[in-house]
Amino acid sequence: MNTLMAHLHPAGDNLESGTILELRGLEKKYPGTHALKPLDLAFKAGEIHAIVGENGAGKSTLIKLLTGVIPRTSGEIIWRGKPTALATPHEAMALGINAVHQEVVLCRHLTVAANIFLGEENVRFGILQQRAMVREAQQIIDDLGFDLPAHVVLGELTIGQQQLIAAARATLRGTKFLIFDEPTAYLTRKEAGQLFALIRRLKAEGVTIIYISHRMEEVFELADRVTVLRDGAFIGTRNISETSDAELVKMMINRSIDQIYHKEHFKFGATIVETKMLSGKGFEEVSISVRAGEIVGLYGLIGAGRSEFVTTLYGRHQKSAGSVLWDGKEVSISSEQDAMRLGMALAPESRRDQGLCLNLPVGLNLNLPIYKRISSNMLISAKREKEFADRQIGGLRIKTPTRHALASSLSGGNQQKIVIGKWLNHGAKLFIFDEPTVGVDVGTKAEIYRLFGELLSKGAGIILISSYLPEVYELADTLHVFRRGRLVASHGFRAASHEEVLTQAIGV
Amino acid sequence: MTTDTVATEKPKRNYNVLFGLTLLALLVFLWILLSLTTASFASGNNIANLLRQGSMIAILAVGQTFVIITGGIDLSVGAVVGFGTVIVAMMINAGWPIWVAILSTLLVGVGIGLFHGFGIVRMGLPPFIITLATLTSLRGIGLLMTNGNSININSDEFTAFSRNSVLGIPNLFWMVILVAIPAYVFLHHSRWGRYLFSVGSNAEASRLSGVNIQRTIFMAYVLSGLLASFVGVLLAARIGIGNPTQAEGWELQAIASSVIGGTSLFGAIGSVHGPLLGAFILATINNGANLLNVNSFWQRIITGALIIIIVYFDGLRRRAK
Repeated sequence: MNTLMAHLHPAGDNLESGTILELRGLEKKYPGTHALKPLDLAFKAGEIHAIVGENGAGKSTLIKLLTGVIPRTSGEIIWRGKPTALATPHEAMALGINAVHQEVVLCRHLTVAANIFLGEENVRFGILQQRAMVREAQQIIDDLGFDLPAHVVLGELTIGQQQLIAAARATLRGTKFLIFDEPTAYLTRKEAGQLFALIRRLKAEGVTIIYISHRMEEVFELADRVTVLRDGAFIGTRNISETSDAELVKMMINRSIDQIYHKEHFKFGATIVETKMLSGKGFEEVSISVRAGEIVGLYGLIGAGRSEFVTTLYGRHQKSAGSVLWDGKEVSISSEQDAMRLGMALAPESRRDQGLCLNLPVGLNLNLPIYKRISSNMLISAKREKEFADRQIGGLRIKTPTRHALASSLSGGNQQKIVIGKWLNHGAKLFIFDEPTVGVDVGTKAEIYRLFGELLSKGAGIILISSYLPEVYELADTLHVFRRGRLVASHGFRAASHEEVLTQAIGV
Repeated sequence: MTTDTVATEKPKRNYNVLFGLTLLALLVFLWILLSLTTASFASGNNIANLLRQGSMIAILAVGQTFVIITGGIDLSVGAVVGFGTVIVAMMINAGWPIWVAILSTLLVGVGIGLFHGFGIVRMGLPPFIITLATLTSLRGIGLLMTNGNSININSDEFTAFSRNSVLGIPNLFWMVILVAIPAYVFLHHSRWGRYLFSVGSNAEASRLSGVNIQRTIFMAYVLSGLLASFVGVLLAARIGIGNPTQAEGWELQAIASSVIGGTSLFGAIGSVHGPLLGAFILATINNGANLLNVNSFWQRIITGALIIIIVYFDGLRRRAK
């Protein structure tokens, strides 16, 4: 229907009611993943168009394509009736396409005014007109109704206030098409209100707004239309007046259960670990327990406190309150080494930042936790080093020419296998997997799930964190839902519906 | 699967060796060139002299490389050498047995390394800053201790060591071998060596894998301090004096040797043979330029150009891989 409208209003001079940007078969493939399947979508000039979907649905990919950050695999982007290359961020900005990101991407050490005018400074005879810029910036900020000073250093403002400045900056220099990527994630209610006022005002001025959010109430408050993506594919577009929470949530969830989940049920053994009202940075009063043979799933939106909870349990951060019982005895875990000694293993969330030494060989990465064990006296046993590395490369079918290849030369799925393989080498009673299948293809996913079964059969317990609901839903024996740092609900295996769980995580 | 593994194993594994061979070829090429163009280069005397010149920077470069592999830098090593000459000279002149004097000097080096580790790990200072502070203040302390005078070492036994040879090879060069072999075993065949690389590559991932990052960093700076104080002993023996202003700029020569030898200043890439070859390439250039009567100012320019060229080509090749 949207594409039909575009054809009815070709290349429109009458932009008020016409299409400003149209996507025809826009597609993005990464090695091993189909991040965005061919997408046809048209955005009307002056509308607020919400895009919703689970993590991994393809929203971020779409934004990156629209702002020229990544190149597309195929398809056309038609801007005001003309196909455009949109190959660089600069080109996008020149057209009038701009974005406000979830994280503030500004210079924290410069003043608010300097940030607003960054790249387009007011210069006279080679001298910065600082006072004039502060005055102008203050004018802009006051105009938008934000009660913020223009002369202070950006870093002195709260994250929410910085986000407002980022929004203010994005509205300047002839922006016609503005993308907000979960802009309210770090905002207070009042700040969010100010932002919404700004968005409505931009709409009134004819700017097209793309609004990406997990929060249903915001979508219904702001948007004219809403598009749902799932697993990189277009599911549908609705007028906001003709849809409901329930319908959108249903559209966001994959109803057909993938073949890849093979849930094996094991008899639960003794409790391995138990947290009692554990609190720390980013989460509060979380009590869970994991038994031998059990997968405990932690579901929630990104930033809900799940990763913070497990990294604290693992000794990376200090807890602020509560206690941890291991094999029924209270323990104090003040470092990663303490956790490992007890028998914990953590495959962290970000391969790049936490999981791997990318510019070092595969073999070194696989053996990193066990070098102590494969050394006698001071020296590493070359034989055992090879043996342990090759065992995981073979067992996990890590596709690498040799254990000497650098980890960075492998695909995402194979890199993830290294992160897991290193902990299989080490061995543990409790395995914590934080988003183990992000950016991993379906085949590798299935292998990773099969591996869970193997670990459970040997009497281990697993904590599985995922932002992808079907994954935790189909695999977890006990599913805990996190929202804003708290454990808000717990369910047995498939005891609650998808809708129920998602609703609890989003907090509709 | 297994056949795959075997078939492609060779070229990747040998990359380090290949780069080493290229450097070695460059060194040999320089030697042949200088032998042909100058009368005195190939003389036993000159070669011995060249080995002595290169040896001390070579040992410093090995310690420096350990630090750089962790992603750090040690600017203090030149000052530690100068300070080391003072300590060993003072102790020998005060009548301590030579071995006590040497051991004490080495302990001072270890202490300085511990101080650096403390500054980086406990105080959160950048390595550049804490070692820069040591660089300047250590020279000051040395000057205070000596009132700005040189101390003539009154032990022929001690100074003779640096002039003598065993099997026709200068003792100073034997010291390089004495350092290089354990350093090689440490870096490539002990878990501590692996941890240096892993901390330099990704400290957070290493930490989550149970590597004690703090201890690893302490170790790198202690080794660098220890080797620098050892060079201080060697230099004192060679010149027969203790003087805190000696070895000015040696830290930069050590860094240059390391970098020419293929060490990445971003960390996680480096070897033992690389910096050794780098140090002797630099020593050869200086020695050759002297023999060819090239203005000594040019030596500095040539060294600078060489750093750019070698590191550029090394970077090109890494990227191509």
